[in-house]
Amino acid sequence: MKRRRQHGAVFWLFLAPVLLAFLLVIVVPFFLGAYYSFTNWSATARAGETLKLIGLANYARILKDPSFLYSFLITAIYTVLNMIAINVASFGLAMLVTRALKGRNVYRASFFVPNLIGGLILGYIWQFIFNNAIPSIGTALGIAAWANPANLLLAKSTTALLAMVIVGTWQYAGYIMVIYVAALETIPHELIEASFIDGVSAWRRLRAITIPLTRQAFTVTLFLTLVNSFKQFDVNVSLTAGGPSAIFAGRPLYGTELLAMNIYNQGLRSNDMAGGQARAVVFFVVLVIVSVIQVALNKRREVEL
Amino acid sequence: MKTRYFTRLLGPEALAVALFIVFLFPFFIVLINSGKTPFEITQSPLTFPSDWAKIPQNMALIWTSPNVQYSSSFLSSVIITVVSLVLLNVLSSQAAWVLVRTKTRLSSGIFLMFVAAMVVPFQIVMFPLLSWFRELTVLTGIRLLRTYTGLILAYIGFGMSQCIFLFHGFIKSIPLEIEEAATIDGCRPAQTFYQIVFPILRPIHATVVVLNGIWIWNDYLLPLLILGKGNRVMTIPLAVSNFAGAYVKQWDLILTAILMAMIPIVVLFLVAQRSIIRGMVAGSIK
Amino acid sequence: MKRILFIVLAVALVGAAAFGQGLTLMQNKPEIDSMLKAYAAIWTKGGNVPMTIKSVGGGTNIDLGTQLRADYAAGDMPDIFVIAGIEDYKEWAAIILDLSGERWVKDTSVAFKTGGKVYGFPVAVEGWGIAYNADVLKKAGVDPKTLVSYAGYKAAFAKIDSQKAALGLKSVVSMAASIDMGWVTAHHNFNSLLSNGLPYGDLSVTNDLLAGKVDAKRLSEYADWVELLFKYADKAVLTTGNYDAQVGAFASGQAAFLHQGNWVDPNMAQAKVTFSMAFAPHGSMAKTTDGIFVAAPSFYVINKDSRNLAAAKKFLNDLVYTEAGNKYMVVDAGMIPAYKNINLKPSGQLSKSVQAWAAAGKVYSWNQYNFTNDFRDKTLAPIYNQFATGAITKAQFIDLMTTAFQGLKK
Repeated sequence: MKRRRQHGAVFWLFLAPVLLAFLLVIVVPFFLGAYYSFTNWSATARAGETLKLIGLANYARILKDPSFLYSFLITAIYTVLNMIAINVASFGLAMLVTRALKGRNVYRASFFVPNLIGGLILGYIWQFIFNNAIPSIGTALGIAAWANPANLLLAKSTTALLAMVIVGTWQYAGYIMVIYVAALETIPHELIEASFIDGVSAWRRLRAITIPLTRQAFTVTLFLTLVNSFKQFDVNVSLTAGGPSAIFAGRPLYGTELLAMNIYNQGLRSNDMAGGQARAVVFFVVLVIVSVIQVALNKRREVEL
Repeated sequence: MKTRYFTRLLGPEALAVALFIVFLFPFFIVLINSGKTPFEITQSPLTFPSDWAKIPQNMALIWTSPNVQYSSSFLSSVIITVVSLVLLNVLSSQAAWVLVRTKTRLSSGIFLMFVAAMVVPFQIVMFPLLSWFRELTVLTGIRLLRTYTGLILAYIGFGMSQCIFLFHGFIKSIPLEIEEAATIDGCRPAQTFYQIVFPILRPIHATVVVLNGIWIWNDYLLPLLILGKGNRVMTIPLAVSNFAGAYVKQWDLILTAILMAMIPIVVLFLVAQRSIIRGMVAGSIK
Repeated sequence: MKRILFIVLAVALVGAAAFGQGLTLMQNKPEIDSMLKAYAAIWTKGGNVPMTIKSVGGGTNIDLGTQLRADYAAGDMPDIFVIAGIEDYKEWAAIILDLSGERWVKDTSVAFKTGGKVYGFPVAVEGWGIAYNADVLKKAGVDPKTLVSYAGYKAAFAKIDSQKAALGLKSVVSMAASIDMGWVTAHHNFNSLLSNGLPYGDLSVTNDLLAGKVDAKRLSEYADWVELLFKYADKAVLTTGNYDAQVGAFASGQAAFLHQGNWVDPNMAQAKVTFSMAFAPHGSMAKTTDGIFVAAPSFYVINKDSRNLAAAKKFLNDLVYTEAGNKYMVVDAGMIPAYKNINLKPSGQLSKSVQAWAAAGKVYSWNQYNFTNDFRDKTLAPIYNQFATGAITKAQFIDLMTTAFQGLKK
């Protein structure tokens, strides 16, 4: 039974269901999609249209399309901002929560809860908060800046992107915090105690002990925040719906349309499935390259330790 | 002892409490506004409702409203999540087991293929998936789109890579002697797996259930494409977006619907906090 | 273990059970969704196949077109769906059934026709102009009859604005220009540029723009009008408000004017509005334009591949020729019927206003559906939005619009 050298019935029987699902759901659509991206595939019933190969035309088109390039740009900006904000916030929270505070478990739970709610719902909640609750607080507390409708975060595309980072941070900080907590708790107590006795300042302790010993956690957290930010869709839909407009390369377009939404809209709203598919392929390639680079860089720094 | 607390920890404790309030503030807003009329909500979103009883009333309204289809969506979400989780668990673990225990090039090749698929984002397969599923429906006569079948199949397809990866790592650490003993006792391979190995995998089962459960319950894009909006079968996120994205935004009902959508998972979390957090940490670090 | 698997698979397969033999209708007016569903239930009970109604619409994000495309890709096209005009028709031409031989064709003058054949069943006659709160205008001393040109509106807005506090208003006009409400700006308001002041059915400006030719003077006057509306609008509603906020501002008496159509009548009824209101023309030109925009803007079409063609045709016929159908259309949904044989009249004030203008022959056509959804939503709507948030000036607005139209030249 163990260490067989041939594949018996059990092997295939046990493997069959997932293999079937894998082929049907991932392999076939993946290659089909690659093929479609070289055709004039679309999703409507125009009179007299048939599927035909058109080579790299779709790719050439999207690389010239301002909305795709803009989408790429702001997705990159959003990802970077989000990664910084989430990791700084969650690391801070982790440091806070690993102290001997009285309500430790309660705080930890409360920071974690937003992560349990789907991004879609979070986006609606925060849309309500940004558009209605904050101005209300502004009027109540006399903060004119908050009460002024011209200052609504979701009214301009730049601040709307910031709003998305705020929601993204609120959503993921707890989850990432938990990973940091697990890492922080593996730091040998003696080291910390020794540093106290030696009179080392908090900042030095952070730099010399805490951060180096949690490097492995950084690989994981940076990877997770990178991938999740890059693929963001749900919050995008509910919070900004592509957001206020912006001008890019002289063209007005949707100001907070991240890549995932750009792909979806291109395929289904603009009825350009081939173009949407080509964008998805580019999206995939970039994502793989960037995440591989990130993990490789992080792993190297881990080893250096 | 007391002085130590005051000097060293009072500051951080106060900060933690402040953050606690900031983090839970949005939920608080949802709660108090579920009990007001739409007019009250836009006028004074921060005050307590004048009539707390309105909250259960609104909840009952949402539960029975044919526009929101909440009760049927809730049931659908439960069925889809539970069935997907069970199938993912069983099918991935059994596949991982044979892959580990069969040391051939084909076996490692298949495993690598599964792992490589973990980087494939949904966007690149979502459009072809639609037309491919339609082809399959025509070829086999089994309706895949707009049904539970198709969605569950999709969840298994997308979730199995990570699950197999997790099980694979754990199974490698299970001593062969246990399984050999079972064979000597006369167990057939299937029995060995289901009766001996499967129970040992409990920690990974927990991780798999937690990670995938949260993902599937809250997922929006996959159901949006496979089930479509406003059709007979909807999941909770679809129902909420269908309702909340409509012309006439009745914030009182939308917020109530959101409240109701959050309650199951928050309750589950409060009950199983430790396992959930442990599961998510374990799953991510791998 | 295996038993559980079995049960689970059985449950999953049950979900794949064959779908019923009923009809599906997909439409894009969520405000009449509940009334239509109620009528569908009555119709089914009257000895017909089960009828399912799906309503999609609201923001430009989840519009009917997107849902139809997803359904088409899924092989799940509805039996009856809605098109708005020639561009929509072209998109679905391969599956739209020819309805020229239907009974109701002779009883309406606004069916959707192309290539000499009838394809679309007009859902209702709709109209819009600038809705005004007659009581507030009276108090402010503004005569609605002066609201027929840019100058007239400029004076009226300024006058009302100066008396805002006394009149209990937060702003003069309730206008929405967020991306989500792009249909208000890039579909409806845009039509002022296309047909205001022109004879009914005149497509000269439309065709010029489609060919990339821009009448600079007309566009400039139009830009003045847009600027005026944005200037006197409540900024919060303008930049982030949704339909509810925009209509609500007018219904609650916080704004004196509303940029919407007679389809808001059910909303007014729900808000228990007591003041009188009516429509005034758009003041998008320097000259007098004494008419509002009235047309049958959406049409039910039948899917050629439907498995229930006879039932689908019967559903449409019954809307026009049965008492229950007429009652639903006019009394419950408050729509103005497009059929000569129906004598019921809707009770909403704005619908009555539309009928008054139509009876006087003072109407202009709806031409915006000659432009693709994509163009209006993705190219025009952001331009309006930029202008509304103050990110661009009127001159830039004119430039961007001109560039957009010139880009249409193929």
